[in-house]
Amino acid sequence: MTARWVLLALLPFVAGIALLQRRRLYAIIGMGLFSLLLASVFFLSHAPDVAITEAAIGAALATFIYVLAIRKTGRLTVAASEVPGLIERVGEEISGLEWEILDRAAASLGLDLIVRFQPLEDVKTSLLRGEADVGAGGLIPIEENERLLQTPEHLPTARFRVWGPAEEASSRLAPFRGDLSDLIDTARRGAPLAVELDLARFLAVSRYNLDAYRVAKDEDALSYTFLVSASQPDIHRRLTNLLTDLRSSGDLETMIRRHFP
Amino acid sequence: MRHVSVSLVLVAVGLTAAFCVVVLLGFGFRGPGIADTEPALSVATWIDVAQGTGARNIVSAIYLNVRLFDTILEVLVFSVAVLGVHFYLTARGRPEPVESIPESSVVRVAADLLLPLILLIGLYVTVYGHLSPGGGFSGGVIAGTGLLLAAIVLGTKTVTARLGRRLLDRLEWITLLGILIVGLVPAALARTPLVDLLPAGSPGRVGSGGSILLYNGLIGLKVFVGSWVIIRHFVDHRGEI
Repeated sequence: MTARWVLLALLPFVAGIALLQRRRLYAIIGMGLFSLLLASVFFLSHAPDVAITEAAIGAALATFIYVLAIRKTGRLTVAASEVPGLIERVGEEISGLEWEILDRAAASLGLDLIVRFQPLEDVKTSLLRGEADVGAGGLIPIEENERLLQTPEHLPTARFRVWGPAEEASSRLAPFRGDLSDLIDTARRGAPLAVELDLARFLAVSRYNLDAYRVAKDEDALSYTFLVSASQPDIHRRLTNLLTDLRSSGDLETMIRRHFP
Repeated sequence: MRHVSVSLVLVAVGLTAAFCVVVLLGFGFRGPGIADTEPALSVATWIDVAQGTGARNIVSAIYLNVRLFDTILEVLVFSVAVLGVHFYLTARGRPEPVESIPESSVVRVAADLLLPLILLIGLYVTVYGHLSPGGGFSGGVIAGTGLLLAAIVLGTKTVTARLGRRLLDRLEWITLLGILIVGLVPAALARTPLVDLLPAGSPGRVGSGGSILLYNGLIGLKVFVGSWVIIRHFVDHRGEI
């Protein structure tokens, strides 16, 4: 008798937890748990027939059908190169300006946001192969490509050339490739380096001692962008509208100041 | 395939309408405002009625005997739901087949152990519906989730090929027609749905409870096939398992 009341009292809480989940899969698991509790309540209320049906349909079949339904459509897959301030892992969480923008876009599209961190040069490949919907992580506008869409700029950046100690000065250095953590390792060891960096990456590297290197800034006006796979025009439109709204409402400024104080 | 389903559903709806008319006439239709001369049945009377069927599960005894009419309409609701899924997802066209992702060996080994067990439980719940909690609805869904498990391991294509797509699509409607006919025949013979097509048998044994076992079996088969049809359509049109 007591167990029945305890389970009954739990039901609204489980329902609330299921409703409050941001990720759809967790919400569906919450609904399955709700069904299971409800089946227990039915069973304790001497309605075993109803309990069996509730367990079979609510907890098993409906849960599976929901999982199947969201399996492919419910995701916004982002291929990102990790950049502090823009999109980076902080413990279990992800943070950064671009993450925040993408998170809002995914929420307004009703999609689960999934971020795959990759070396910078692989981001575009992932998009072209259809393995990801959006590319992020300090991307600078590229030449026209009919299979990739670009969003309006969200943050001005610049080119920094970093070279030394023994490397020759040159007007054109190889743009950055790979993982930023490798570059930071190299810079901390003071090993030879000749690379062209964007603002966010340069800021991340300049937290360490760059005395051994020479730095030059290019005067080109550049901005970061997101790349969106051309097969996802809806996502591109939503992201573009979101960026325009954020800029006109001034929220974008606040977000930038929060991540780049 | 599509026009076959349309004609079948028309036949089903027609039969249901005929069934409704016959049953309403048989019971004597009493519309609103017309005084009900018979007193409402007490709970004790219902229990008496249920026990008269020889079934131990009073719930089954009521919904598959004196309230069979309601149950048949409920089965029809389920069929319309399956038909809706079938129509709307077929109209979207067949997308490119997606290869199923091979599951880990843990899932495969567990499925080998669980699949026969789940199907057996589904069969048990269906066949013993008049003796213990359960019945065709829950037994059919339990067996359906067993097929879902098989589909997760083998992929829907393999499971569909082994079971036969056409057979399954038709079985769904053939069982519905079966249920309608089995319910309609006694009513058309001017007997109430209390009629038992099967011998009553001695209470407590599997072969007891009269027609309840027959209805449970038909509903179980119908729900089993119907839930698989829904699962297959969802998987075919929404991505891999």
